[in-house]
Amino acid sequence: MTVDAAKLVRMAEQITANMAYTDDVELVAARVADHLNRFWDPRMRQAMAEVANGDADQLSPALKAAVRQLHGVAGEGAL
Amino acid sequence: MSVEVFVPAADFTARALGADAVAAAVAAAPGVEVRRTGSRGLYWLEPLVEVATDAGRIGFGPLDSAAARALFANGPPNVDHPDCLGLVDELPWLEKQSRVTMARVGVIEPLSIAQYKANGGFAGLARARALTAPAIVETVTDAGLRGRGGAAFPTGIKWRTVLESEGEPKYIVCNADEGDSGTFADRMIMESDPFSLIEGMLIAGLAVGADRGYIYCRAEYPLAVDTLAEAIRLAKGAGYLDDFHLEVRKGAGAYICGEETSLLESLEGKRGVIRYRPPLPAVKGLFGQPTVVNNVISLASVPAILARGADHYRSFGVGRSRGTLTVQLAGNVRRGGLFEVPFGKPLRWVVEHLGGGTASGLPIKTVQAGGPLGAYIPPQHFDTPLDYESFQAIGGMIGHGGLVVFDETTDMGAMARYAFEFCAEESCGKCTPCRIGAVRGVEVVDRIRRGEAAADNRVLLKDLCHTMIDGSLCGLGGMAPLPVLSVMTHFADEL
Amino acid sequence: MNLYYRVGAERDLGTPAVIANSAAKGGAGAAPTVNVEIDGRSVAVPEGISVMRAAALAGANIPKLCATEDLAAFGSCRLCLVTIEGRKGYPASCTTLVEEGMVVHTQTPRLAELRRNVMELYISDHPLDCLTCAANGDCELQDMAGAVGLRTVRYGYDGAHHLDKPKDESALYFSFDPAKCIVCSRCVRACEEQQGTYALTINGRGFDSEVVASQNDAFIDSECVSCGACVKACPTATLIEKSVIEHGQPESAVITTCAYCGVGCSFRAETQGGQLVRMVPNRDGHANHGHACVKGRFAFGYATHQDRITTPLVRDSIDDEWQAVGWDEAIRTAAERLQAIQARYGRKSIGGVTSSRCTNEEVYVVQKFVRAAAGNNNVDTCARVCHSPTGYGLKTTLGESAGTQNFDSVLEADVIMVIGANPTEAHPVFASAMKRRLHQGAGLIVVDPRAIDLVQSPHVRADYHLQLKPGANVAVINALAHAVIDEGLEDEAYIRARCDLEAYRIWRAFISEARNSPEATEALSGVPAAQVRAAARLYAGAGNGAIYYGLGVTEHSQGSTMVMGIANLAMATGNLGRPGVGVNPLRGQNNVQGACDMGSFPHELTGYRHLSDEATRRLFEAEWQVALDPEPGYRIPNMFDAAIGGEFKGLYVQGEDFAQSDPDTQHVYAALSAMECVIVQDLFLNETAKFAHVFLPGCSFLEKDGTFTNAERRISPVRKVIAPLSGMDEWDITCRLATAMGYEMRYSHPSEIMDEIARLTPTFRGVSYAKLAELGSIQWPCRDEASAGTPLMHVDEFVRGKGYFAPTPYVPTDERANARYPLLLTTGRVLSQYNVGAQTRRTGAVAYHREDILEIHPTDAQVRGIVDGSWVGLKSRAGETVLRAKVTERVQPGVLYTTFHHPESGANVITTDNSDWATNCPEYKVTAVQAYPVSRPSEWQEMFHRFTAAQQQLSEQALSEA
Repeated sequence: MTVDAAKLVRMAEQITANMAYTDDVELVAARVADHLNRFWDPRMRQAMAEVANGDADQLSPALKAAVRQLHGVAGEGAL
Repeated sequence: MSVEVFVPAADFTARALGADAVAAAVAAAPGVEVRRTGSRGLYWLEPLVEVATDAGRIGFGPLDSAAARALFANGPPNVDHPDCLGLVDELPWLEKQSRVTMARVGVIEPLSIAQYKANGGFAGLARARALTAPAIVETVTDAGLRGRGGAAFPTGIKWRTVLESEGEPKYIVCNADEGDSGTFADRMIMESDPFSLIEGMLIAGLAVGADRGYIYCRAEYPLAVDTLAEAIRLAKGAGYLDDFHLEVRKGAGAYICGEETSLLESLEGKRGVIRYRPPLPAVKGLFGQPTVVNNVISLASVPAILARGADHYRSFGVGRSRGTLTVQLAGNVRRGGLFEVPFGKPLRWVVEHLGGGTASGLPIKTVQAGGPLGAYIPPQHFDTPLDYESFQAIGGMIGHGGLVVFDETTDMGAMARYAFEFCAEESCGKCTPCRIGAVRGVEVVDRIRRGEAAADNRVLLKDLCHTMIDGSLCGLGGMAPLPVLSVMTHFADEL
Repeated sequence: MNLYYRVGAERDLGTPAVIANSAAKGGAGAAPTVNVEIDGRSVAVPEGISVMRAAALAGANIPKLCATEDLAAFGSCRLCLVTIEGRKGYPASCTTLVEEGMVVHTQTPRLAELRRNVMELYISDHPLDCLTCAANGDCELQDMAGAVGLRTVRYGYDGAHHLDKPKDESALYFSFDPAKCIVCSRCVRACEEQQGTYALTINGRGFDSEVVASQNDAFIDSECVSCGACVKACPTATLIEKSVIEHGQPESAVITTCAYCGVGCSFRAETQGGQLVRMVPNRDGHANHGHACVKGRFAFGYATHQDRITTPLVRDSIDDEWQAVGWDEAIRTAAERLQAIQARYGRKSIGGVTSSRCTNEEVYVVQKFVRAAAGNNNVDTCARVCHSPTGYGLKTTLGESAGTQNFDSVLEADVIMVIGANPTEAHPVFASAMKRRLHQGAGLIVVDPRAIDLVQSPHVRADYHLQLKPGANVAVINALAHAVIDEGLEDEAYIRARCDLEAYRIWRAFISEARNSPEATEALSGVPAAQVRAAARLYAGAGNGAIYYGLGVTEHSQGSTMVMGIANLAMATGNLGRPGVGVNPLRGQNNVQGACDMGSFPHELTGYRHLSDEATRRLFEAEWQVALDPEPGYRIPNMFDAAIGGEFKGLYVQGEDFAQSDPDTQHVYAALSAMECVIVQDLFLNETAKFAHVFLPGCSFLEKDGTFTNAERRISPVRKVIAPLSGMDEWDITCRLATAMGYEMRYSHPSEIMDEIARLTPTFRGVSYAKLAELGSIQWPCRDEASAGTPLMHVDEFVRGKGYFAPTPYVPTDERANARYPLLLTTGRVLSQYNVGAQTRRTGAVAYHREDILEIHPTDAQVRGIVDGSWVGLKSRAGETVLRAKVTERVQPGVLYTTFHHPESGANVITTDNSDWATNCPEYKVTAVQAYPVSRPSEWQEMFHRFTAAQQQLSEQALSEA
């Protein structure tokens, strides 16, 4: 994995924090996933998926849920 | 029991002649109560001290402090004193006047509201408060009052335009920039009867729907500025200014700021430069709002019109020049001062009968009427009645009512040169005919007087004069050639 | 199509046209007319114009000197007098308005005489050196003397005059010769009415009247901002361009568009024998209406600066000397290297960056190159670092990634709110229009950590200055919206009719929470609650409330959120869809709007259509005859990260200088160094070129045919004034590169590129060069042949249908002041310099701003022992640099400010990789720093100087041969 994982997690958490105007984790996760699918290069999404694979608990609940909804990553929908 | 003694220590000119020292001397006398009034305007008699008696006020003057001390050494003198001039009201030069606007000047203490009211003050305002705005306008229109600043525009029509103009706020601006040489009527009102101006502005405010006003007073009248400020303060304290905000603002040494649009520019904090018209200030004036701009005398005449009725005012005057003219007689004249007379008196009567001819005793050569931009009236026209139309017909003008007398030693060519000099000095500089023309005018006059191509230069001079008359943006450039042309017409051998 | 598009001299009708106030007259349309008779001819003319203008329209040109249609009538020269039946005297035709039935005579013997006499007075005080005067051939005084038949000056020349007044040549670009002044006051009026700076006045009175700058200062020392309006207004040689003095009168003109900022002023490029003599603002320019600023007006010398590279250069590594080569070799080398990289590292290991200064056509072919020739979506543009949050935020809420109004709309605003923008410095021509409206009494709210000029300057004063701390934007916009809802000031009818009600319900609940109140946010924002509420009332209570914003909104970690917050506020108060209102992003670059429109994004094709939209992809695939990758590619920051990670190895850079303009300079250096083939296409060997392997010389705006799109969505023509110095059109370079990579791209003229864009993009469908030539400019959307464009958007409904209220929770930035870095640095621009300064530093204008200065508040300076003019070390978690200090109260305690126009300032060494959550727009506006006195440059600066010197040496040989 070549893209700096820590940086990706930071960016993804930032997106999550900005989408979290409600406590509904599933709603926020859906919005975050939509954003990542629309704007992130597949390799970046792949790297995110690998981070979640390694240690999902370092991610916030909404982000963890969002990663499960990423398109075009190995093991899509499987987590 | 003290006797009231009136000393003109509230008038700038009288003070310049020593009225303060006279007042001090009189105040030191036993049995005397000094009242500091304005001047009656009989300046050749100033300082003129008046002593109250049962028959009326008797006069002594001109006095200096030594003479005053001597006169009052044993208390107030009486009518039998050899130096007594008699009853002041019966002095011929006062008796023959019609003191309508100047009624209280020199009579009351200027800053006493009580004396103002006891002498008819605030009666006009009371009357106006009982009328509708259009009715006030109609009264002033019927009285035939025309602007005394010099333009002679019917005041009522100006007020009606402002009344009918849309926009809030509206303003009353008093043009107290009395800049014409040899004039002082505005000054006398401001120093000696300031409440009449305030009352006039309040009435104007009611007439047009304005709740604020400014008095733009030339800086060269410091006493007037201070007196007005104090009068406003007193009027406010007495409740007259509860619904009207009034301020005095000072000019800064520009004759052109007596022209209403330059005045407004200066009042707004800008350079005093002409605005083109239309639009008229009545529609778009101070800060772009509908504004009444009136001269001091015009506004100070309004209370009497309201108090005594339009018919009374109208009863003075002739033709389309109704009411009284506050003539200011000055220059080389034996009896210089303020003569309020009905329109229509012959020039000669004022200058010779009231004024007594020249101070030098030499024959009168000419009289300049209407200020430095007025024509020089030749003796053959001295029988012209002092009214707007008659003077216009002889190529002259009444203006603000100043008459300056010249004797036969006067160099009329130099006077013509002076007209251009004055214009050049006071030009705002905006329009080309005045900015450059005035300077060229001086140069061409000099060439003529030096005999350099005089014939050609006379043609050029006339051409220049007519260019300035037809092309200038305002009356300064537009009228500066008038005295010049009058010299070329009536004193052709001197230019 | 013609190489040169010539226009004749501009006609001046004397006094302004009447601008129909659409609100007042209940809608735009033809103004009512009146019938007048002029010299026996009856004409119908618009109501409200002057007799002078009516006469000009009727073909009778009345002599004039103080009148010009750019300025309100003045009435001082007295040349234009006429006679009007029924009126006495000779009224001035410039100040007299037409009336129904007026009968005017413009020529009579007496008028002729008067005019001659007036001219005679003028000439009696004027030098007689016409034949050697710089204005010979373009002097209105000359014209009038001729027109009135002046033959002699009977006054002679011995009288008083002003011919001995000394010249003031201190201004950089123009000369002031008071000996030739006719005191028409056009310059003073231009500075007041057009520019709004009030730098000039008339000193003295009467014959002594003279034009002076400020308090009778030399121009260079005065408040003059060198916009050149006075120079254009001056009818004589008194104020004249130094370039005209040097070269003589231009004889030909081409209309083109400025290449500096997002106002996109239209200019007459006036030439003499193929050489550009001067740039004069085009009176018919729809964005600028005859006005300009110092940069567009005068600072064009960079195009022919000695630093211009005109031959292609190649080298193997950045430590090697550059070799000058021919075009074929350069393009072949570039193509081969890129292909080799793709073969080794994969299809997605290369990418391209389009320039926001190049034309739409040039940008379009670069993104086509990336998608069709390189086969991926790794294309991005500089909007990434400036207004990408605008794109995201407005697309989400309103449905279109662009501003909603045109510039003229500001003239109908009742309250103007300026957030994070400094228009008097960065969009000066627009700022002048805004000031005109402010002078008419419009209210003004400024939201900015700094006391910018708009807060208080001559005749301008903000009603409220919400001086917030950097990083608190969203807290403040939320507080404003909270106050609106809390106090019942929202426009219920509008919301109900125009907006998504469910989203509104959610947003309303969110914004009403106590944490969003002015009171709750006061401490963190630094703005008193009472002030926020008062400002909210002013904006919400206005008939027309307009919001203008800039990079102080977007260049933040919550940039997109803030844009949405602004849109929410505008929707809630019904301030959209008509003149005088709107959400107005002040786009910075001349074609950043265009670059975005052209699909220079890794996730979007032209017209902001997402790659995932199958129908759009198919449309492109059919036209381009190639399959498109449907997944988004890398943004610029992602490209840098991937480069450092070893995955991204090749980059084709069109007109972009990341090494100076992007944040965290050391990170950028590392990324560029890690790539194997960096191709820079630019005018100069800039900071990024130090890391390049191929340099392809580009064209300045004077050397291109094409179009720019400004902040109003206005597409304007750019026209060739001189032939490309490099011998190759810039769009052609890209086409050849694509062809060399195996994808044939060929056009014979940029108009064909625009035709292709129009075919592929619904919002551009009706755009063509022919229509542009006919209309002058077109604001997109222009959806069909018949359309003339769209000045105002979202009139009947939003582009997305119903307006969407997006909740905007305040998430504080990570970049907070702390014990180690207790101060906050924010950055901005000055009037005289443009962006990284590549252009303006290579013109005389550099004299106005020779270095970037650090503004620091007295309290912060004092405790640190920093004084005015001393060197200050600045350190952040990203790096360290040194700047010279200016101690001032323009900034608040705890906040520092500087500009980034000089590379050696290292301003971006300090900025971090924090960025907007949605778009990665860098958070330039908030960096936590410490400041301390120093006595020598920073390590980075010393390295920079060494590196610069080394790279300069590597290019010397190649350039001396070229």
